Amino acid sequence: MPCVTWNCRATRAMGVEILWKNLESVMNRLILVVNLTVLLSLNYTLTAWIPRVYWKAAHWAQGLKGRMLKTKVAPSLAGLARPDKNKSNMSSSELPRKEANVLKGHEGAVLAARFNSDGNYCLSCGKDRTIRLWNPHRGIHIKNYKSHGREVRDVHVTPDNSKLCSCGGDRQIFYWDVSTGRVIRKFRGHDGEVNAVKFNEYASVVVSAGYDRSLRAWDCRSHSTEPIQIIDSFLDTVMSVCLTKTEIIGGSVDGTVRTFDIRIGREISDDLGQPVNCISMSNDGNCILASCLDSSIRLLDRSTGELLQEYKGHACKSYKMDCCLTNSDAHVIGGSEDGSIFFWDLVDASVVSKFRAHSSVVTSVSYHPKDNCMITSSVDGSVRVWKT
Amino acid sequence: MDSDEEDYVFFGTPIEREEEITNRRKKAAAEASGNLRALPPWKQEVRDEEGRRRFHGAFTGGFSAGYFNTVGTKEGWAPQSFTSSRKNRAEVKQQSIFNFLDEDEKAELEGTLGTSSQFDTFGFTAAEHARKQADKEQKQRPSAIPGPIPDELVLPASESIGVKLLLKMGWRHGRAINDSRASSLYDARREARKALLAFASEDAKAPCPADEPVEEPESFTVQPSDDDARSSQSLPKVVYLITLIGDEENLFHDVESTIMRYEGPYDAAEISDLVQQLPMAKTEVMEDVVNAKEARFRRGIRYKRFLDLHGLGYDPFKHAPEFREKKRLHLLNDKQRGDRKTMSIKDSLFGSKSGKAAPGFGIGALEEYDAEDEDIYAAGYDFEETCIEDDEEPSRLGIESKQPSRLSIESKQKVVARDQGVLPGFKVASVSDYQLERFDPPVIPKDFAPHHKFPGPLETLKKLDVPSPPEVPPPDDSNLKLLIEGVAKLVARCGKLFEDLSRKKNQSNPLFSFLSGGNGHDYYERRLWEEHQKFGVQAKLLLDGKLSPSMQKMTAESRGKLLGEKPLERSSRETTSSSVASGEFQLQFNLSDTFKKPDSFSKLPDVAKPFKDDPAKQERFEQFLKEKYEGGLRSTGYTVASNMSEAARAREKLDFEAAAEAIEKGKRGKESMVSTQPLDFLASGMQFTSGGLEQVENGHAEDLVTKKMYPRREEFQWRPAPVLCKRFDLIDPFMGKPPPAPRARSKIDSLLFIPDSVKVAKPEEVAITNRDVPAAQTGAQMTIEDVAEEEIEIVAENVERPVDLYKAIFSDDSDDDVEDLNTKKVEDPEKKTEVATTALNRLIADDFLESLGKELGFEVPPDTPYSTNKANALRIETPNSDSGNAKFSTGTYLNPGNETAQDGDSQKNKSIPVRSGGYNSSKHTVGLLNMSGKVNEDKFAQEDKKVKSPSSRQRNWSSSSSSDDERSRKHSKRHRHRSSGSYSDPSSDDREHYRSRSKGKRERSSREKSSHSRKHSKHHKHRSRDSPSRSHRGSEREHSEARKEKRKRRD
Repeated sequence: MPCVTWNCRATRAMGVEILWKNLESVMNRLILVVNLTVLLSLNYTLTAWIPRVYWKAAHWAQGLKGRMLKTKVAPSLAGLARPDKNKSNMSSSELPRKEANVLKGHEGAVLAARFNSDGNYCLSCGKDRTIRLWNPHRGIHIKNYKSHGREVRDVHVTPDNSKLCSCGGDRQIFYWDVSTGRVIRKFRGHDGEVNAVKFNEYASVVVSAGYDRSLRAWDCRSHSTEPIQIIDSFLDTVMSVCLTKTEIIGGSVDGTVRTFDIRIGREISDDLGQPVNCISMSNDGNCILASCLDSSIRLLDRSTGELLQEYKGHACKSYKMDCCLTNSDAHVIGGSEDGSIFFWDLVDASVVSKFRAHSSVVTSVSYHPKDNCMITSSVDGSVRVWKT
Repeated sequence: MDSDEEDYVFFGTPIEREEEITNRRKKAAAEASGNLRALPPWKQEVRDEEGRRRFHGAFTGGFSAGYFNTVGTKEGWAPQSFTSSRKNRAEVKQQSIFNFLDEDEKAELEGTLGTSSQFDTFGFTAAEHARKQADKEQKQRPSAIPGPIPDELVLPASESIGVKLLLKMGWRHGRAINDSRASSLYDARREARKALLAFASEDAKAPCPADEPVEEPESFTVQPSDDDARSSQSLPKVVYLITLIGDEENLFHDVESTIMRYEGPYDAAEISDLVQQLPMAKTEVMEDVVNAKEARFRRGIRYKRFLDLHGLGYDPFKHAPEFREKKRLHLLNDKQRGDRKTMSIKDSLFGSKSGKAAPGFGIGALEEYDAEDEDIYAAGYDFEETCIEDDEEPSRLGIESKQPSRLSIESKQKVVARDQGVLPGFKVASVSDYQLERFDPPVIPKDFAPHHKFPGPLETLKKLDVPSPPEVPPPDDSNLKLLIEGVAKLVARCGKLFEDLSRKKNQSNPLFSFLSGGNGHDYYERRLWEEHQKFGVQAKLLLDGKLSPSMQKMTAESRGKLLGEKPLERSSRETTSSSVASGEFQLQFNLSDTFKKPDSFSKLPDVAKPFKDDPAKQERFEQFLKEKYEGGLRSTGYTVASNMSEAARAREKLDFEAAAEAIEKGKRGKESMVSTQPLDFLASGMQFTSGGLEQVENGHAEDLVTKKMYPRREEFQWRPAPVLCKRFDLIDPFMGKPPPAPRARSKIDSLLFIPDSVKVAKPEEVAITNRDVPAAQTGAQMTIEDVAEEEIEIVAENVERPVDLYKAIFSDDSDDDVEDLNTKKVEDPEKKTEVATTALNRLIADDFLESLGKELGFEVPPDTPYSTNKANALRIETPNSDSGNAKFSTGTYLNPGNETAQDGDSQKNKSIPVRSGGYNSSKHTVGLLNMSGKVNEDKFAQEDKKVKSPSSRQRNWSSSSSSDDERSRKHSKRHRHRSSGSYSDPSSDDREHYRSRSKGKRERSSREKSSHSRKHSKHHKHRSRDSPSRSHRGSEREHSEARKEKRKRRD
């Protein structure tokens, strides 16, 4: 059966034989293979699933044998794994590496570029105090949003694309109406520059991360301008924030990624030991990608807090630079201070692709929610659109 | 308006409703806090204290009256008066103080405001004044001719040298110096130009005689010399009228246009000849123009070329004539080369001054330009220009080297090079007196060894040989004994200088008479010798360790030393006398030694090579070790041996893991264990194959525990706001529950700005101390020095603690008073006994501080507050009223005053029978001495198990021995602390310092940060641990009271 052989190859490539070694009987191995086949036949690409496959397999084996196979084995296995060359080539050919458009218009550095929720438009903001709305696929500049008093550091769109929020050096969070371009509300209260903002799922709350070592949640529904929650357990500047349905996750220069679970009222702090520059969540929501200032991007398992992988090779020492995952979670994308873009394989952390995209520091990378398309922004003042 | 309302007549102002006002006020306050801070000034609104904006009327400024709601205008206080722009253009009105004065005030000022004759050097009075002065001098000076010299004979110089110079430069009497060309100049020039044009046209029609003088409105004339005129008889006459020089660009146009009118052949020499006759200041400019354009004339270019983008009449060199010459030279050079490179000097001159501004957009006029606006992305290309210049050098060389003779090239090049750096008016000296003199390097003496020998250890080493003074029993007075011991230790450590210093300092103090041969001198000698001995041994050992790195065999002792372990009890007994205190000292410095990172740890001794037979493997193993111990994280890319198969690699890795573990174990093992033993066990060929799963896994798990520092996961309770839950569409997990106790961590942190770096205290190190140090002695017995240090710390701590903290934490306590009463009752007898020890401590601390300060060149405040000691000592009483828990915490508390009190007491207990009933607390402290050690152990057991109460948010390795740890670290960092200057004055001023620091926390350096955190976290630790026991809060409060008391006293 071709399907089976393919799977066998895949498992070999993943280095699961270590696990096999631990399962004594041939019978068990066979069952394991079958099980892996089931797992792998999901409509995700193979590589993205590998770490989880390990764990599943380990757990499964645990139930089977009644023996403690520690899930801790998984990361080291991930380190040992060598995926099939063909496979990785195939997926890497789908990487957006061709420049489709250059969006020019910003004066000075562009500090962030973000797709909207459906990926048809994108927003960029920068040192010229403006937020710009573009159609990246046609390369058209649509609108300018001007009201910030200083540079705009981050921008985010609601899922229904009707509202914007932005923040920046003027210590305020602006809540915009997209179509009219008017500021609906301004949230003041941060004692320092605001580094990042995000809407929650219902676009009812804006969470901002500030230089004043706090995360603040602002209510968009009521008219109060006071934050509804101040999270100040960080010890240093909060650089980045991520939201899930139930959690607020913040990455800080104090080296921690802190997850605030609203549902159970818990704070989970994962200390990485290195200043965290930017965090972004994997599409399956199981991992956190944290870009650290020691020129490495770390992949954390959210449930256990384990370090799954480290991605190195780029330069990230002093600037806030984004990182993200591809839609399939197969590759990690990160910018570098020399203007190049890196693609790493998620599992074995090898640099799959690398090219020079900008003439200066790449400040932001954003991946299209559905397609293989990417926008990058840079200090050189341009936003570039990349497609396969 | 309603029709109803029209019927009513309103008088007065309506009363506003109370709530409206308060509402508005509130809003105003809120706005003021948020708004003003965030908005740029031009967007801020002015409101009165009620929060209203005042409407001033539509034509008088709307909501904003005056100039930004001030009474003034943009021009000042007086509004600008209207002037018709038809007849005379509005001018910038010069305001003087007289504009603002009333008549009578002017009259008043008339006398005071005016030029005094003394400074009127240019007027007539100057001469008069000078003459008077001369007269006076003459009278004073004895001269050959007796009596005053008649005035007619000796006249003082009527003109000062400044006036002379000015005259030479073309200045005349009766004219202002600086802007002589303000208004009259313009007219003058216009007149001149008109005249010139008229003359030229006239001349073109009918040439007029050359020697006809042409009157210029400025009243100085240029007459072409006769021969010049004669030589140019046949030619159309060229008369150059040189107008006053305001900007020579204009002038040049004039001249050039005139010249071009004539369309005749002309000689540049003619021009320059004319120019020669002009006054000096003008010649320069003229010459310049002529020179610059000469070549162009010669080539017959008849049109004006714009070389630059400046407007007409713009002179870039107006205020920097030095650069003009440079530019000219450069242009000439360029032309010679046919090279069109433009000079970069110009750009650098007129480029933006604040080079690092972000490009493309500026900042508002009213906004300040601060660090945030700097373009952080711009790379520092500041040296670009110089690079270009450097590039030019060789190219020039290349061009010139085409010329035939080498010598001339060089000389010429030199000239060119020199010329460029020469200011106009100066000339390069052909022969320079200055010659670079070179000396031979000093001859190194043959016996010189390139080693710096530090005097300190040497001294102590030398002193090792000094015969020991006879053993003397310590003096009866335990205080004196303590003092002597402390001083001896300090002297041994700091050198003889310290002794001299303290002797000088304490000459009158009877307590210190032992220094100069008084009571207890013998004992002092003996102690000193012992200390020297100890130090010498220590230093020698260190030296030995350093000098012989290739030491093959390690003795148990040296290894212990490298690992920071305590030497065996026996050895210390040998060197020192049997006195108890000496043991303490030994222990103390051993303790501090334990925190030195054993530097040779990473270097494997020769023996520890488990894979000797396979060098490649050994290499990989070493790589592995390096990664393991230095990175802290397991490296993922294990790329060294890429040719190995997966399985082999995994197996090898496991092998390595095990070997490393074994080595580790061997290193850490007890003293009795020979280091080669575990290696033997390795060498015996025990290999970990995949079959040995259990062992591997064990090693693995342990390994993970030891080396996995990061990422580290911690969990805390966090309470989301109800609104947040609602907005996230979740059920509030804390719904209906009372608000949780404020998390000590966050609260204190937000007040104290603690960056978390206390985790530096590594668990391993702490564990080592824990194991090695006999528990009963850990915190209890302190040397005098340490006491002194501790005191410094504590003073600093106390001062830095904001008062609000206490309020924040303890304000809800209502039943503290009872506790207070209890403790106060007990404290009285204690107080008395404490006085002696505290006084002693203080003396010692004083002395130490001052001498230290002198050494470092700082001023030490004369009065070191010591009442903290008392307050600390008071804490001890609390266990009386409280049980185990409190003891637990006192064990961790062990503060200096406390300790010395214990010290003194314990000694007293030995010599003197135990005191009576009311004083049972001292017994208690003795008991505590022993308690504390156990407590520590318990603590550590807890720490090791990582048992953490969810509410306490500390990740510090908190225990009393970790505070010991800190103490010893402090010891090493003491200098830094002192030199940072923040502790030199621990009074309220320091508080200010703290506040300002909190303000400037952005700028705080990481070093400061870390030092801070260490201190604060220490408190914080105390606090959080104490929180369960109420009595402790009481004592804390007392502490604060004592602090207040102290402050009062100081005041």
